[in-house]
Amino acid sequence: MSDDHDHDYDHHPSPWGPHDWSHGAPHNSFAPLVMSIGIGIFLYALASVFVGGEVANLGALSGVMLGIIVITIGLLIWWRQDMSFDGTYEPKATGAPFRNIDLRKIAMWVFLMSEMMVFTSLFSTYIRYRLGIPNCEEVFLSGEWIEGTSVVCFEPAAHLIASSWFHLAPGAANTFALIISSFTIVLALKTAKMSNKKYADRYEVELSDVHSHRSRKVAMFLGSTLFLATLFLTLKMIEWFVGFPTPGPLTELNHGHSEIASLYSEGYTIHASAYQHHAYDTAYHGGHEIPHDSALYSMMQAGTHPGGIMMADIRVGASTFFVTTGTHGMHVLGGMIGLSYMTFKGLRGGYGPSNAVSIEYFGLYWHFVDLVWVLVFPFFYLF
Amino acid sequence: MKQNSLARILVLLIVLGLALSVAPQADSLPNGIIGQSEKGCTCHGAVPDAGVTPSIEGLPTTFNASTTYTLTISFSGGPSGQAAEPHNLGGFNLATSSGILEAVDDTVKIEGDQATHNGIDDDLDGNGLQDAIEAGGEAIISGNDYTSWLVNWTSPSSGSSTFTLAVNSVNGDGKASADDAWNLMSVTVAGPSTGAAVEELQSADPFVVLVTLIFVSGILLAAVILYTFYRVSPDGFNWESFAPWITEWLTSTDHKKVGTLYFLAGFFFLGVGGIMAMLIRIQLAVPGNDFLTQDQYNQFFTMHGTTMIFLAAMPLINGFANWLIPLQIGAHDLALPRINAMSFWLQPVGAILIFTGVFSGQAADTGWTGYAPYIVSETAHSGTTMWVAGQIMLVASSTLTGINFLTTICSMRAPGMGWMQMPLFTWSIFVANLMLFISIPAWGVGLIQVYLDRTIGTAFYHVASGGDPLLWSHLFWYFGHPEVYVVILPAFGVISEVLSTSARRSVFGYRSMVYAMAGIGIVAFIVYGHHMFTSGMSPTLRFVTMLSTMLVAVPTGIKIFNWLKTMHKGSLVYRTHTLWALGFLVTFTLGGISGMFFPSLAMDTHLHETYFVVAHFHYVFVGGTVFGMFAAVYYWFPKMSGRMMDEKWGLLHFLTAFVSYNGIFWPMHKLGVLGMARRHHTWFITTDDYTNIPAEMASWNMFITVSAFIFFFSNFILVGNMVKTIVSGEKAPADPWGGWSFEWMTSSPPPTPSFDPHNPPVLHDANEHVATEPTIFGQWFESLMMPEDETEGIH
Repeated sequence: MSDDHDHDYDHHPSPWGPHDWSHGAPHNSFAPLVMSIGIGIFLYALASVFVGGEVANLGALSGVMLGIIVITIGLLIWWRQDMSFDGTYEPKATGAPFRNIDLRKIAMWVFLMSEMMVFTSLFSTYIRYRLGIPNCEEVFLSGEWIEGTSVVCFEPAAHLIASSWFHLAPGAANTFALIISSFTIVLALKTAKMSNKKYADRYEVELSDVHSHRSRKVAMFLGSTLFLATLFLTLKMIEWFVGFPTPGPLTELNHGHSEIASLYSEGYTIHASAYQHHAYDTAYHGGHEIPHDSALYSMMQAGTHPGGIMMADIRVGASTFFVTTGTHGMHVLGGMIGLSYMTFKGLRGGYGPSNAVSIEYFGLYWHFVDLVWVLVFPFFYLF
Repeated sequence: MKQNSLARILVLLIVLGLALSVAPQADSLPNGIIGQSEKGCTCHGAVPDAGVTPSIEGLPTTFNASTTYTLTISFSGGPSGQAAEPHNLGGFNLATSSGILEAVDDTVKIEGDQATHNGIDDDLDGNGLQDAIEAGGEAIISGNDYTSWLVNWTSPSSGSSTFTLAVNSVNGDGKASADDAWNLMSVTVAGPSTGAAVEELQSADPFVVLVTLIFVSGILLAAVILYTFYRVSPDGFNWESFAPWITEWLTSTDHKKVGTLYFLAGFFFLGVGGIMAMLIRIQLAVPGNDFLTQDQYNQFFTMHGTTMIFLAAMPLINGFANWLIPLQIGAHDLALPRINAMSFWLQPVGAILIFTGVFSGQAADTGWTGYAPYIVSETAHSGTTMWVAGQIMLVASSTLTGINFLTTICSMRAPGMGWMQMPLFTWSIFVANLMLFISIPAWGVGLIQVYLDRTIGTAFYHVASGGDPLLWSHLFWYFGHPEVYVVILPAFGVISEVLSTSARRSVFGYRSMVYAMAGIGIVAFIVYGHHMFTSGMSPTLRFVTMLSTMLVAVPTGIKIFNWLKTMHKGSLVYRTHTLWALGFLVTFTLGGISGMFFPSLAMDTHLHETYFVVAHFHYVFVGGTVFGMFAAVYYWFPKMSGRMMDEKWGLLHFLTAFVSYNGIFWPMHKLGVLGMARRHHTWFITTDDYTNIPAEMASWNMFITVSAFIFFFSNFILVGNMVKTIVSGEKAPADPWGGWSFEWMTSSPPPTPSFDPHNPPVLHDANEHVATEPTIFGQWFESLMMPEDETEGIH
């Protein structure tokens, strides 16, 4: 930017970035326009690819990619303007009750309020369907089904996942990954926030080396957070789509199976094809005998029920599971996108005591995502 | 400069991209994006010409199952054959709803399941037949050298079959030209078991009318923008000054510029929604009208509702909020300017998505409520998916707007301005945004569920798999009812400002006004069940929402009486904005009173889905929100543009619009009580006792339609007034009306930044002045907040 304009609004900032923050926040940006267009293209193309659960036009995938590329361009413009932000321009609240608190911090808390409502709505959907649709296990044991006709019932993913410690393993590992990542982001904040003198004392470096030493350290902690978030999504994909083998000696503990099937290959999908699972086979009820006190058992003993495999239409249960955990996953992905920018900026020395609050405000979001998982995990994985 | 050229290229690309994406859809309307031809070919003119007569011969009155018939397609009239040489005479397109079409000879080809002529497209000089013969080669058979063709049709085994035939009559020059004409006909042939054939000649497709009108309004808008640009700087009317100017508008994060963009979008879509309302009224003017088909009517009222609420009312409100909130609280801008620009730009893109269905003739036909399970069914139009996608973007936009305004109002008030010194318009925006912010995520989640249901095939609302349509109703109305208060509360704020300024005294009962708005904001969340009284909701909940809905009348009544008391013993100055505020008081109170019939369960069951409901919500939406926004336009336009509006035009606008408005919606109460159902594409006078609708309905409906057209055109007085003001209005002083809130203390139009960020204005005195220090509650709350410098030791 030219140097001859030193008043806050007199200079002509570039809408493409980079931005000189000593003049105040950017007054022009192409990012909002570009990102909006990208989102529009993405939603339009996605709806052309899939119609009613079937692939209608695979060629429109290029449109989906185009949308993502345009959104990325918008994001890069936004970041290019933000990269030079070092805390010199930090507007503070003037009115009660938030006096002297950073505007960004208030805005982040307000944003989390709406996020709370998003997950409340998803949980409302879940509770309504979980309590309103008969449970598959109960329908099976009641004997009110015949082989060959599909039965609408709610199959909680937990019925598959919590059936074996191994099946639960990715979710459990994810819980720890997220909790540890909440810790690493606080470490990044702590490192960035320490005054130069304190930092020099603490890590026994020269005062002149503090900046570079701190930059590496902050980037390391931010990078660890990013790694843990990536691990989270990777394990989730394994759990949903890939599955994994169980170590040989431990196969015994896994009901004799040498492999944990993914939810997809177990047939736990949103697809219209009916669900068949060995859990609902009278000959093999999840490796156990049918409980003798169940109606199904007495009916089969009396010869009034022929037994067989129950076909369960579990689409609603699967939809609530995949969309709720998927929405949480998208929040993790959003955090990863933010973290990749922050790690890069941290590496370039962008976070020092004057600008450590940026990490804190991202941390608010990150802790929230963590907290949501703490609720999602028991509701969808354990019970 | 490099940046300039980059900006120029981007602007050029955006303009080109928009033109490219919009132009072909207008041109190829009959095929549409979806590729389903229903309307023939408009490549030779936009409207069918009655001079061309298509005909199909060889069709039986009732067909036999699986029999092949040879059909002769022909046409007469139009410019065909006027040229000397017998080539390039015309073409046709024949679609059938069932059965199989086959070509008899080379003049006809089958495209998909439709038959069309076999043309030679690369024959540039238009002499294909002649040239080929002269060259001694084989005669090239070109289907467009004929005016009649043969097609074989194999009938289906049962049902009836509808044929749609479009023909072109062209003048033989091989190019599209002005005297080319086309026409369309449709024949239904009954199958083996049913009655005789029905033949009807179709009129122009209303969608073509609509799209044409949208384009005309777009071009007019562009002309106004260009003319304004020209007036502002006649010498700089070249690319070098245009590129930075348009770049500034595309990229600005200044609250005043973004606010103006909101206005442009809002007024544009107010016009589009108005055009749709007019088409709806044409359809309903006389009994049994066939101007719109049932299918088109469903799309029109869906798009009308969606456009008016989300693309007209909300942007207009946001336009005022953007402009005035920083000015009224003494802030230099909103808290998050770039986020603010983002929430604006999501809107036009979302609007384009919502309207894509219109261009393909497959717009959403679900009603603005988008009730499940129809919205996720395959029978719902394909444009519904785009409608949902566009709404998701609007939800994102509203969420960002909410973050911005809540943060701004909470934290950027000038020194001395406590919560109870805030102008009432700021209060209304605060309460409205809080409501919207807390409620809209629920609908956003519902929309995402529907979007996923319609695309990747989740089953949230598929009844066969156990999905619950009532869940959608809950998620929608949990948002939808606060939403109607979100659009009315800002109007309350405007009326409070306008009346207290016009009566030249402070508003009566400021605190009770604030508590009333906050009360509406709280009650809004526990009343939504009254939209679902007949949907099979739990009787207990019905009773609860019946009582809580009646409760809404209390805070609203407090506001009405406070406004009356503000004028009482005040000294009222009758400006245009005062007239609109007084008009608001009348119409909104009437709308409020008619609203009090619905909470009563028994009354609601009777009035549900009748025109009484339509009358009620238009009385509060138009008589409330739109009149409030009109008052705001007349009140704040001098501040925004720096020029005074013409009061005579304003008076004319008020008189025509107010009278014709009441002429539209007042008779609807009567129609509703008499049993005219809403959301029906037509109505009939009947003597059948059970469904008896009396004969005077016809006159009332015609009266409503005439009034609607007067109302529609009367609003162009406002548009004309605004343009006239910008071009040649007299300069406005800083405080033309004698208002005393912060926005009147800065110049008209205000500078940028609106106030000096390093030296904000200080509120020294206001009539509602209580104390500049926080109250006991405020002090307690503030003590819970940790100022930044005290958090040092914690980590």
